Amino acid sequence: MTGFNRRHVLIGTAAATVTARPAFAQAPAEIVIGALYPMSGANAQVGVDARNAFETAVDIVNGMHEVALPGAKNAGLMGLGNAKIKLVYADHQADPQKGRAEAERLITQDKVTAIIGCYHSAVSNTVSVTCEKYGVPFMCADSSSPSLHRRDLKFFFRPAAHDEFFSKGMFDFLDAQKASGTKIETLGLFYEDTIFGADSSNTQRKLAAERGYKIVADIKYRANSPTLTSEVQQLKTADADVVLPSSYTTDAILLIKTMGELGYKPKNIVAQAAGFSEKAVFDAVGDKLDGLISRASFALDMAGKRPSITYVNDKYKARGNRDLNDNTARQFMAMLVLADGIDRAKSTDGEKVRAALAATAIPGDQTIMPWGKVAFGADGQNVDADPVLIQYIGGKWVTIFPKSVAAAPAKWPM
Amino acid sequence: MTAQAFFQVLASGLLMGLLYALIAVGLSLIFGLMDVVNFAHGEFLMVAMYATFGLWAIVGVDPVLLMPLVIAFMFVFGAAVYLGVVRFAMRAKTNSGMVQIFATFGLAILIQGVSQLLFSPDYRSIPASWLGGRTVSIGGVFLPLPQVYGGLISVLAFAGLYLLMSRTDFGKALEATREDQGAVALVGIDRNKVFALGWGLGAALVGLAGSVLAIFYYIHPQVGGPFALVAYVVVALGGFGSVFGALAAGLIVGVVESFAAIAMPPAMKSIPVYLLYLGVVFIRPSGLFGRL
Repeated sequence: MTGFNRRHVLIGTAAATVTARPAFAQAPAEIVIGALYPMSGANAQVGVDARNAFETAVDIVNGMHEVALPGAKNAGLMGLGNAKIKLVYADHQADPQKGRAEAERLITQDKVTAIIGCYHSAVSNTVSVTCEKYGVPFMCADSSSPSLHRRDLKFFFRPAAHDEFFSKGMFDFLDAQKASGTKIETLGLFYEDTIFGADSSNTQRKLAAERGYKIVADIKYRANSPTLTSEVQQLKTADADVVLPSSYTTDAILLIKTMGELGYKPKNIVAQAAGFSEKAVFDAVGDKLDGLISRASFALDMAGKRPSITYVNDKYKARGNRDLNDNTARQFMAMLVLADGIDRAKSTDGEKVRAALAATAIPGDQTIMPWGKVAFGADGQNVDADPVLIQYIGGKWVTIFPKSVAAAPAKWPM
Repeated sequence: MTAQAFFQVLASGLLMGLLYALIAVGLSLIFGLMDVVNFAHGEFLMVAMYATFGLWAIVGVDPVLLMPLVIAFMFVFGAAVYLGVVRFAMRAKTNSGMVQIFATFGLAILIQGVSQLLFSPDYRSIPASWLGGRTVSIGGVFLPLPQVYGGLISVLAFAGLYLLMSRTDFGKALEATREDQGAVALVGIDRNKVFALGWGLGAALVGLAGSVLAIFYYIHPQVGGPFALVAYVVVALGGFGSVFGALAAGLIVGVVESFAAIAMPPAMKSIPVYLLYLGVVFIRPSGLFGRL
């Protein structure tokens, strides 16, 4: 085997797959949107769930629904003669370079009006740059790295919060707990080695320094590792008052299993969502997670304040056989925000859609999220995407922070 | 580092190393027998894990008891892969090395795709079993029972393999076939049959590892990748084709990785493993125990 390895074969296969796909004709009455997600590879379930979330959103936009959401009441997009939205899916396999290639294909061959994606921050990073190059709006549904909207991109939009909001929410919560007399002095950071983990931990490190928490473990681990024993051993030795993990699904399962195996029960876990909002994690290790706290953009138990949640969740559940979670709720809402922009643009021209999206003004009660409203700053970030903290108690998520929306006080320690 | 932490890291490394060795030995065996690198080895592991999970879900018996069934299934699966795919790939007149690589690599992609289609990309796990989630503490050093069981199985498998290779006619036929494929035909050994049995044995060994791993690891169509990567390093480090090289190299990789994750940022824990591998390959290209 000279100069030839598995990676070469992979690249060759990917290239063959890309070139083999036929460009397809589109009916003029359809608005084509590209959805770029991991559809195979370690996080393929994320893609499957995202697909169900998008189909639910498109169903609401394309049909007539009596629910307080943008675009629900009319069939199709009013601004474009009741045109229907059609989604084209592409697979990035969590690889930023595959993501970029697929984005180009969606834009040049499928002639998409906009691209929505991409879960992995590292992929959203390359895809948004490609979109910028072609003047096609990129709707960042569910990637939360703060650096994404700080690159002077004109076609980048993110309705949901990023990790600085989320981490700030976490530290506000920790401060509030401390103020009520709980001892919280030390933190343990545990994060994976891509842009998501790096950005998340940077923010947490900064906030910890500002607010006087001591970091006793700062562990950057290799994603999808066969074992995390030594890593968890270090967490155990440090035994921080709160462990703050930033992990995708596979590592989240392994982390919690390994903690159990090494006889380590952390005092508290406050997670940066991602894997910790996935059903698979709770199916696997839910018994060890009672009392886990996670940041979230979404909470099912807010249905009292946002009646549309029940309506949407029922529709989503019928497709995916699971409840909406932090990720799928953001994906659903981002699709509605994008459709609303295209509707108001009355055009599929990239520049016009961009301008319409920049002028978005959706009140919070027209969403399924705890957000104040959806309105983008010059950098494409929604500044009113208030996050919440939710706690996993007795097999259900309960909103615990901020106080204004909390359904119950936090159980502490977990 | 306290003595307790030291022994914890050492024990974890050794247990994981035994499992790495068990995963790798099937790969090494097949390579030694017929100079074919099975690029679908990680997928064999994944199939074994799904087989364990599927049998557990259907029969409802503890994975420990299902092990013989999984091994038998994997033996048939491995032999079928040889008879259905590899046998034909080996017939290529030109560039047969490449043909074999592409055949097994294509097989890997096929198995992944079919698994995702059949089982969905969701992460499965066996939530409760006799051993799952149980752990014993010896002087503050925690030994998870599934891994201890896996280590035990690994040691037994290597002992059994040693007896098989040295004491049985089949072992001698394997040994003779790897020495000289042409000559064995002259003494009446059916090369094809030995190869098919060799693939069956290789797959059964990784099946053994899969049935243990399924108890404490998540299962999904891509689960084999990271383990296969380690297995290739183990095989190359120990020496292509050397069964006991795989055992030694598995333990070395497990322990080095375990301590590296303590000594440096854990994201870089594979670097010492690969450095060690490079060092060995520079000084001794055949690997530690290779006879090439």
